[in-house]
Amino acid sequence: MSFMQEEKRPGKKKIKTTRVVNGLDVEEEVWVDDLEAPLFKPREECRLLGTRMKRVDGPAKLTGAAEYTSDVRLEGMLYAKVLLCPFGRAKVKIDAAPALASKGCVHARQLVDETKYLGQPVAVVAAATPELAEDALRALVVEYEPLPWVLDRGQALAEGAPEVRSRGNLGRPTEDGDAGEVEAAFAQCAVVVEQEYSVPVQHHVCLETHGTVVDYRGGEDAIVYCSTQSTHGIVGDAAESLGLRKAQVRGIVQHMGGGFGSKFGLERAGTLACEISREQKRPVHLMWNREAEFLTSGNRTGAWQRVKAGANKDGRMLAMSSDVERYGGIGGGSHAGLPYLYSVEKSLRKHASVYMHLDTNCAMRAPGHPQASFAMESVVDELAAGLGMDAVEFRKRNLNSPAHLRQLDRVAELIGWNEHPNRTAPGSVDGFEAVGIGFGCSRWGVGGSPVCQVDVRVMNDGSVTAEVGSQDLGTGTRTYLAAIVAEELGRPLDGVQARLGDSRMGNANGSGGSTTTPSLAPAVQDAARQMRGVLSVAAAEHFGCAPEEVVLDPDGARAPGGKLTWLELCALLPPEGASVRGTWQSDLAVSGVACTQAARVRVDLLTGRVKVEKMVCLQECGRPLNRLALESQIRGAMTQALSYALLEERRVDPQLGIALSADLETYKIAGSLEIPEFVALVDDDDLREGVAGVGEPPVIPGAGAIANAVFNACGVRLRHLPLTPDKVLNAIEERKSS
Amino acid sequence: MTDRSRDVARGGEPAEVRDGSAGLSRRAFLKGAGGVAAAGSVFRAEVEAGRAQAEADAGLEGTVTVEFVLNGTPERVKVEPRTTLLSALRHHLARPATGTKEVCDQGNCGACTVLVDDEPVYACMTLAVKAAGKRVRTVEGLTGTDGLSAVQAEMWAADGMQCGYCTPGFVMSLTACLEKNPEAGPEELRAACSGNLCRCGTYTQVFEAGLAVARAGRKSR
Repeated sequence: MSFMQEEKRPGKKKIKTTRVVNGLDVEEEVWVDDLEAPLFKPREECRLLGTRMKRVDGPAKLTGAAEYTSDVRLEGMLYAKVLLCPFGRAKVKIDAAPALASKGCVHARQLVDETKYLGQPVAVVAAATPELAEDALRALVVEYEPLPWVLDRGQALAEGAPEVRSRGNLGRPTEDGDAGEVEAAFAQCAVVVEQEYSVPVQHHVCLETHGTVVDYRGGEDAIVYCSTQSTHGIVGDAAESLGLRKAQVRGIVQHMGGGFGSKFGLERAGTLACEISREQKRPVHLMWNREAEFLTSGNRTGAWQRVKAGANKDGRMLAMSSDVERYGGIGGGSHAGLPYLYSVEKSLRKHASVYMHLDTNCAMRAPGHPQASFAMESVVDELAAGLGMDAVEFRKRNLNSPAHLRQLDRVAELIGWNEHPNRTAPGSVDGFEAVGIGFGCSRWGVGGSPVCQVDVRVMNDGSVTAEVGSQDLGTGTRTYLAAIVAEELGRPLDGVQARLGDSRMGNANGSGGSTTTPSLAPAVQDAARQMRGVLSVAAAEHFGCAPEEVVLDPDGARAPGGKLTWLELCALLPPEGASVRGTWQSDLAVSGVACTQAARVRVDLLTGRVKVEKMVCLQECGRPLNRLALESQIRGAMTQALSYALLEERRVDPQLGIALSADLETYKIAGSLEIPEFVALVDDDDLREGVAGVGEPPVIPGAGAIANAVFNACGVRLRHLPLTPDKVLNAIEERKSS
Repeated sequence: MTDRSRDVARGGEPAEVRDGSAGLSRRAFLKGAGGVAAAGSVFRAEVEAGRAQAEADAGLEGTVTVEFVLNGTPERVKVEPRTTLLSALRHHLARPATGTKEVCDQGNCGACTVLVDDEPVYACMTLAVKAAGKRVRTVEGLTGTDGLSAVQAEMWAADGMQCGYCTPGFVMSLTACLEKNPEAGPEELRAACSGNLCRCGTYTQVFEAGLAVARAGRKSR
């Protein structure tokens, strides 16, 4: 009958814990909070979570103490550099002997006989200093036999064009939807728009280039420092390139200077560094130079999007057909598909890749989404304008999510839409300048990964660590790692040391899809809650009370039997301290976050220059952990969207077969003079208990919002990014003359 | 001794640096690259220009010893004359000072901004020999309460960093601006940072930090 007597306590459960009694490990059951759902404390009770916390690695980054991969200096280290093919495509013959004979050079070799894309690395050298490595590159005697290339759509699809891949330069289209149904739906429409929209190839422009430093001197162990988004993800490739077993390789990523989706593996720079290190039995430092970063480290897919869409007189979108070409170089490209986000009753879509002799696309902050969003937000705006309907109202009639509906109202208010004169018809091109407002929305799936293992340890001198082999891309991972533990144990933020970026620590997923926070934070909370249980048991034993009667707060521990300071409490622990491992908790990760943005622009009607004056973003993120870092990330996303809208474009000369924008002189990104007033808001109407990452969603809708604002200002519709003054001025002149 | 180009112009004329480092002079390239029409023809891309340069610079062979004061401490470094101040700091000092970052290596981005006799310069565009006898200040050398200068402390408070790779450059640009004018206004601060690029998009917080320091400057007057 014992199970009948099993006590039940709401919100609590029994766990087994190990305690040392008289020097012996004793396993016993204790009551703890129900770890099935180790929820965060209620928002209003939190001292740290949800507040504005300065990032814990701030001083290191501000004083130059933070060590990035490029900063690693090792005894006897070689500097390696690569030579890039300056042609669209070529056969390559290299005499490396003069390079090998040059001062300080110990390694020089050809990498390929025939290149596949513009800028492909064709040779690698390694020498004692960076300068000597550059000398060695210059000493290579290179013969190129240029081969016919295709660097733009026209060249790729021309008859008899050289083939990028054996199955032709036009990929097999994927289609879905019922043409007949869509045609019938178009017949019901009061307004139909049929237009073409394009977006250029965008570069990630990580300020720290792709690169790796390998610490290997022969023997059985190697340390691989890598600028990567996946500390655990590089170990396998590094082991293979070094000829070692995975267990012999340790990956280190203490700080990394930007990834934005382009740094998931060891990448080419890393495998080359490992190969040279293996041969030379010396440490090797190989960071891409800026040109290689532009030409051979991935990019955001460009796209051409032919779209036809229609709405009835009530402003409901009834029909859409789209034909999208993706430009991902030698890769297939990515595109999220149309209709994007909005609900359209009947739709038909066709997608195809056009292949060219250019560097492959790769993931970039919301891969495929900004492209689709730009076309969709533009079409939505054109339909609203066609009906003479308020752009906000039109959106609300075609969005299903309640979050977007409330966000649109709030954002409209904050950008000044309700007082704006051009709500149902755009301004004119007369005069010197015009002011307009535009909108855009996005949604992101988020969700967490169950692989995370976070270790929390409390030593008997009161020191606390939280560690996991994840990485901080600049989003503030270290800070919330420490904060979650500090919150649960009643410690100050600086009372917990967060450690990460080491593959010998607990497992973690690569940082992609905005999943780092919803993967890690639940596992940290799980570990923190377990540790609270362990400490509560220790205190309970001391006080002779039940563990759940113990409260941990900034003063230490208190219970009906008395009080302990933090140091006194920790002194109760055995000499080796206490250690727990937390795992992912699905209840603490949310999936699906909504974002809404608005932009206000001033268009100079005489020069065509577009100045973004203000951007507002309202972003759902479930339970906000650190508002300061969240706001920074949201502003950063808006900055990149603004940059995509107005400035950025990968350019090549298809005739000469050369790159025209492979440096920061010719490839412009937003600088301090472009930055508008940003209003970055965490959506506090999102009351879900779980957390979400917001790296991706706020980068999606900005470009559409800005283009819509230009239309709203002066009635010219710009359908091809970036919105450079020449395009704007041409459109203004066209409208003036029509 | 093999033929090597001696790129003494490095730091002064970025276009030449780029041509050289591509392993192919721009002139030779354009000559040979007549578009698709050039396909099939074989040509040798030798570094003629570089070789001529090396001969002309024969007098610059070897290394020179450069002495300067780095963050208050005398430093002495042996470098080739072509070595940039950035490379000297990051690679050639006995204890490399890696706080100053290399991003574009051609004066576009400001990540390598350091102060030479209190003037902000791009260390990638400055030869190490130009710093001889001067005071060089880098992000490692700023001091104040708890080891952070006012600019660093306000940058921390405002969250003026994400990945942090541009951060040392912004700290030095703001420092130079606010040392010249402790009460700098928003436009002056923005202009002071207009030679610095940040990809994560932390500009707003950087301006905030600068303004906070300037406000304190006004109060303390």
